Amino acid sequence: MARATILALLVSGALLAQAPPPRPEQLTFKPLAFEVPRAADFKAKLKNGIPVYVAADPAGVPFVRLRVFIRGGSFLEPRGKEGLASLTGMQMRAGGTAMTPAAALDERLEFLAGDIDSNIGDTSGAVAMEFMEKDLKEGLDLFMQVLTRPAFAQDRLDQAKENLLQGLQARNDKTDGIAKVELPRLLNGEDHFSSAQMTGASLKAITREDLAAFHARLLHPENLVVSVSGRFKKEAMLDLLNRTLGALKPGAAAQVSPRVPAPSFRRRPGIYVVDKDVPQSLVRFALPGLRRTDPDWHAAQVMNQILGGSGFTSRLMKKIRSDEGLTYGIGTGFSDGAHWKGNWSGSVQTKNRSVAYVLRLALAELERIKAQPVPPEELAVIKDSIVQAFPSQWGKKANVVNLFAQEQLTGWPENGWAGYREKIQAVTAEDVQRAARKYLDPAQLVILVVGKAGEAEAGDGKDHPGALKDVAPLPLTRLPLRDPLTLKPLS
Amino acid sequence: MFRTPGRVAAAALCTLAPLSAQDIPVTERTLPNGMRVLMVERHDEPTISCGWVARVGSADERPGITGIAHLFEHMMFKGTKVIGTRDAKRDAELNALQDRTVGEIRKELDTLREKARRGEIADINDPGARSPRHQQLLAELDKLVQEQRGLIVKDELDKVYKQAGATGLNANTTSDRTFYHIDVPANKLELWAWLEADRLKNAVFREFYSERDVVLEERRLRVEATPTGKVQETFNALIWQAHPYSWPVIGWPSDITTVTRDQADNFFSTYYAPNNITAIIVGDFKTEEAFATLQTYFGGIPSRTTLAPRVTTLEPPQGAEQRLVATANAMPMVQVTHKTVPSVHKDAAALDVLSSILNGQSGRLNLELVVRKRVAVNAGAGNRGMKFGGIFYLGGVPAPGHTPEEVEGLLLQEVERIQKEGVTGQELQKVKNQVQASTYARMENNADLRDQLAEAEGAGSYRDFLEEPARLNAVTREDVQRVAKAYFGPESRNTMVIRRKEAK
Repeated sequence: MARATILALLVSGALLAQAPPPRPEQLTFKPLAFEVPRAADFKAKLKNGIPVYVAADPAGVPFVRLRVFIRGGSFLEPRGKEGLASLTGMQMRAGGTAMTPAAALDERLEFLAGDIDSNIGDTSGAVAMEFMEKDLKEGLDLFMQVLTRPAFAQDRLDQAKENLLQGLQARNDKTDGIAKVELPRLLNGEDHFSSAQMTGASLKAITREDLAAFHARLLHPENLVVSVSGRFKKEAMLDLLNRTLGALKPGAAAQVSPRVPAPSFRRRPGIYVVDKDVPQSLVRFALPGLRRTDPDWHAAQVMNQILGGSGFTSRLMKKIRSDEGLTYGIGTGFSDGAHWKGNWSGSVQTKNRSVAYVLRLALAELERIKAQPVPPEELAVIKDSIVQAFPSQWGKKANVVNLFAQEQLTGWPENGWAGYREKIQAVTAEDVQRAARKYLDPAQLVILVVGKAGEAEAGDGKDHPGALKDVAPLPLTRLPLRDPLTLKPLS
Repeated sequence: MFRTPGRVAAAALCTLAPLSAQDIPVTERTLPNGMRVLMVERHDEPTISCGWVARVGSADERPGITGIAHLFEHMMFKGTKVIGTRDAKRDAELNALQDRTVGEIRKELDTLREKARRGEIADINDPGARSPRHQQLLAELDKLVQEQRGLIVKDELDKVYKQAGATGLNANTTSDRTFYHIDVPANKLELWAWLEADRLKNAVFREFYSERDVVLEERRLRVEATPTGKVQETFNALIWQAHPYSWPVIGWPSDITTVTRDQADNFFSTYYAPNNITAIIVGDFKTEEAFATLQTYFGGIPSRTTLAPRVTTLEPPQGAEQRLVATANAMPMVQVTHKTVPSVHKDAAALDVLSSILNGQSGRLNLELVVRKRVAVNAGAGNRGMKFGGIFYLGGVPAPGHTPEEVEGLLLQEVERIQKEGVTGQELQKVKNQVQASTYARMENNADLRDQLAEAEGAGSYRDFLEEPARLNAVTREDVQRVAKAYFGPESRNTMVIRRKEAK
């Protein structure tokens, strides 16, 4: 074709485009190249060994965002002090610092329109800051105070405890508040740290000295990983960080955090019901899963997306929401098993009398994906969707460095995402069926129902008869509601 | 459903000055059929955040069809003449047959409603109260639904988008607008235009009657099964006496269960005309190429000559201050509201600044009620400007040993202090510093920017959003004191007190 013709086509194409094809499948698209970001390209080390992931964007918006990830969490709490980790995290920022009292810190941060946030969870914590580029020096100084010299002011601690106590009293107000207490006990046992929960007594027992000691223990360079992004030059930022975070030495009380302990609990599969007077039950269910490094991981992911992990396109949603109108939503997923084998779990809410029927429909879908190979078109849709959406999951560079830092902290392999799309694309219908048979064993199910127990247990008498106890060959147990402050069962 | 007041206030705090003018480069076009197109081109991520907003919401409803704007939003995912069915002809016949059967069922329901009115039955939805003919009609409807299900390509819209790598397909409805959005890979803009133009031109509301049940479950999820959902709904109905803001966006249950496809068709043709819609794209595209694509697809939708009716009811001044006292399985709390002004009103910026001065860790409410007096465990304020009106609220949770009424008194005292003494220069400067930072923050994320542009188009024009920082920056200490005096009288006040229900 002559050059002039091509040019003419391009011009008319730009002005008029072509007539729309009758079906969207007939559209053609330019290829979209995307290379997986590599952790090594962002990584540096401070002089004391702290790994840091840096994304400089000198032409971007004039912010600097820094996040120090901390290895350690509630799994390190002594018995009787449940809540210590989260209180320590909260009060690092809220309680002021040795040089800047809490009220002055509040005022200064809000005046600068900057932010410092600190929190500690089950297995890790983070202290993060966000400042305008022009305020970097002052912001980083305040940040280092919060990280290394928190004052844990007594009056702020008292206030926080009062606030938390109010929150504890609200524990049974919502169905998911109840599920949050019961589910870890059913999955990991009462003795595992993941089941440990703050009580009125443990909250009362926590002192300012406990917070200071917990903080001192965690503040060890080997427990820290850093991410930083925003408008700066990489070398200048590394220099600044080396003079601040890089100068951090372990204090006398600092300890390298040990490995997170896995539960050693023998699960008792069954249907568990907590009675709560609401018109709609919350249903949670779980099965033993796998770790992200398991060779089955990619097949399991695809299997889950087909079954319940991809919204309207997954089978459970089609059946239970679109066909039957029984719920606003149902979804399932594998947790990645950061510290021990994770779970495959799901959640659905439906009016009390529909609970049994919804579970029967869901269990039938579990059996179907085990019994019948997934049709080629359905498999292709799910695999394409994971592969095509992969670039958008990385987002901006700030997200990328945060992801790499979090993964380093957890201990995942550094190049874990290389080849991910290829491995997903290689999953076959047989792989899906094999994963389904391996991971969807209904005899291992733990099902938790929080709702009006009598109605949920009776089922939908007229339209879809069948009692909850007959949903699966599993024992049905009523669990008592717990006192929200003591967590002791109420009779 | 509603924007949360906190986010509105945060979104409002943005400015163009003084660091350096950060104009957001919005390209605005209007298609010959009246549809507006907003485009913001940038290339830092290989995706495009797309959406379109229709200027219709629950405020455009009337008693009897409350919830239809939201139900409609659900129906827009059910496919078109092309998407979602294997046999468009039979599909249409089945819809007609279903509608006829539902018409007969409605007559049966009329009978039951009459019986309920006379107290002969307690609940028109009780299966035991149905006549044999009623049961038979339900069985017939079920058969028609089953047959249609055989022809349906389930949730095909979602499937086509998913396979293309698009994420976040969703929509939401407020009292003022309905917004449909998704993020697509940078090479898939044409797919978005194809699918969205198709559902604007060729929508078919199939699975209409089972979707009403989904909405009822959504209502249980959001309202009835939450500790304070129904109390909040009652409070909202108390605040708005005449204006359609008084009913919930999701609608009253009896309306949701009786709305018909005819009413939905009617609603669609009235409000979903291209001249009542703005399309917005933000992300990795070339503006002229993108516009040509949008023109090709959306340009073919016929415009409507009769404009959608306007909401004309003006909220009258209240005859008296009102108070709602409730018990619930929830933390005790108090909320004091005052009716203010629409989001585009010239006083809205000063009210936003006032709420910022009251809010935050170093704001007046936290300092006075939580830190100094320790009467509350938290306290806050917000100015929620909507299209036709606004609400300024003050709220707090009492500390153990204190009552909601004590908190209420102190909340009002803080406003009175500002009425008498005004605010300080330092307080105003703090807000303006926050405005400056948000000038940049508000444009960082493609999807957030798209959402904010859509919100502004729903209540007025995207220009209101662009100019918001300048309006906030122009607010003076005198302005803040003036609005504090103007809008906080008892005649526009409604107060809600929630006490914890005693355990039995």
